[in-house]
Amino acid sequence: MIHRQIKFRPSDAVILVLIAAFFGYIYYRVRYGLEYKTDWSVIPQFLIHRDPDTGSWAANFLLDGFVSTIKLSIWAALFASIIGLLMGVFRTSKILLLRMIGRTYVELIRNVPPLVLIFIFYYFFVDQIMPLLGVDEFIQNRSETGKGIISFLFAEEELFSQFISGVVTVAFFEGAYFTEIIRSGIDSIERGQREAAYSLGLSPLDQMRFIIMPQAIKRVLPPLANEFINTIKYSALASVVSIQELTFMGRSVIEATGKIFEVWITVSLMFLVLTMTLSLFVGKLEKKMAESD
Amino acid sequence: MKKNSSFFKVLIGLFLSVCLLGVSSLTFAGELQRKLVQESAIEKIMRKGEMKIGIGIFVPWSFKDINGKLTGFEVDVAKKVAKDMGVKAKFVPTEWSGIIPSLLTGKFDVIIGGMGITAERALKVNFSNPYSYTGMDIVASKKMLPGATSIADLNKSHIILAVRMGATPVSAAKKYLPKAKLHQFEDDAAVIQDVLNGNAHAALSSSPKPAFWAADYANAIYRPLDGKYLYDDPSSFAMRKGDADTMFFYNAWIADNQAFLEEKAAYWFGSKKWAHLVAK
Repeated sequence: MIHRQIKFRPSDAVILVLIAAFFGYIYYRVRYGLEYKTDWSVIPQFLIHRDPDTGSWAANFLLDGFVSTIKLSIWAALFASIIGLLMGVFRTSKILLLRMIGRTYVELIRNVPPLVLIFIFYYFFVDQIMPLLGVDEFIQNRSETGKGIISFLFAEEELFSQFISGVVTVAFFEGAYFTEIIRSGIDSIERGQREAAYSLGLSPLDQMRFIIMPQAIKRVLPPLANEFINTIKYSALASVVSIQELTFMGRSVIEATGKIFEVWITVSLMFLVLTMTLSLFVGKLEKKMAESD
Repeated sequence: MKKNSSFFKVLIGLFLSVCLLGVSSLTFAGELQRKLVQESAIEKIMRKGEMKIGIGIFVPWSFKDINGKLTGFEVDVAKKVAKDMGVKAKFVPTEWSGIIPSLLTGKFDVIIGGMGITAERALKVNFSNPYSYTGMDIVASKKMLPGATSIADLNKSHIILAVRMGATPVSAAKKYLPKAKLHQFEDDAAVIQDVLNGNAHAALSSSPKPAFWAADYANAIYRPLDGKYLYDDPSSFAMRKGDADTMFFYNAWIADNQAFLEEKAAYWFGSKKWAHLVAK
């Protein structure tokens, strides 16, 4: 790598001044042009507060929503990866029927707006599946510790089935994007690799497991990471079907305080913390994987 | 004579079969009634020992206070209903524009969320008797629409009204101010901001919120009807259709709890004693 001396040119100063002027103008408009009372002091108490029962510090509902978003994203990303892996293999299968199933799934999901899918899913699809799985009965029959574990991993008892609907919905449509990434990864592996694996006597499953997938995943890691970040962002859409995640909680705070700007800026910063952390982590991972080549 | 006797036979046969049908339909009706009772939402709630209640997020009807606890008029009412039934109340906060589909698809048993009765909604759900009344109130922008004093001043084709999507102000605007255009938003903070930004002439919302807005932004907005309401909007419990038992229970509960309802309405709508529950 060549290290070049970074020089500060006069043109850079002009650009910096222009950017500062732009944001200064926006600030001025909001502060003086707009009939809006900015008050940042309302925000912290919704993040963290003294629990009135115990008197100790506890997370308030904006932070609770943040934790829900993390949980929702992790579960949704996990299930989406499983769907993606399966459908990705289907898409590259030699069997026509499997290819058709994979293709239909991807095209159906990819060509419908996520918001519309969420509505369809939440109101029509999930309701048919949930009673079948007996989710409500399942959680009601758990012991107190069982309920504690469930509420730690997913959501509190009364919001559990809603949370699962949210996870299933986000996972199902994110799965289509994961599928396409996995498929492109598998397709990118040279024919010779598969032939070599075959000549070594590996079964089709072992060819996938030991030869194709490890290489494919490494190649598609950047778009895959991008899709994980997208999953976090799309989880915000689940607020329209009343999943109690960060965006929904943000709206509750707005309803209680009327502080639109402060709340949305706080919420976006919280999302930024989440996605940036993931970005940095993936950047490190990519470097590590590149070294092993 | 031969012809006649066969005629009688047919007649008796007919009579017998009618009797048989009557008896069987009687037993069938009994069966059906038993089934209906069992299938009613109220019976299911009692069996499960918990009542799932759909609510929207509106101050001061039902909202999260600064400690993150659900509180408000509707929350008090719903808790009392559940207590009187001897079951646990479980609240499902729901996006208001999707609350009816959520009820219909069984996400909860009843909406106790200050839902105003409209004919349009009554096509989809059943309403109980009204249990509270809220006034439909208006605030107008001083800059955009100075000096309006009556509904007629607002009912003009160039007037833009900001309202919350899927809520009663929408139908109120269509009924009382049909000429005005509507800007619809997901929450009330956006509704009032639209007026403050000068994008809409006036905002419609249920009292007491507009009065608070007018006090907070006294230099920008005013109440053109001077504290009078456009009309009083009755609100009701909403439940799925075809469930008479449940409806009768709620009606009986409402009739039985008039004093409680009045006391709670005075606290939540007639005072600001709860102001410390909302952020300072």
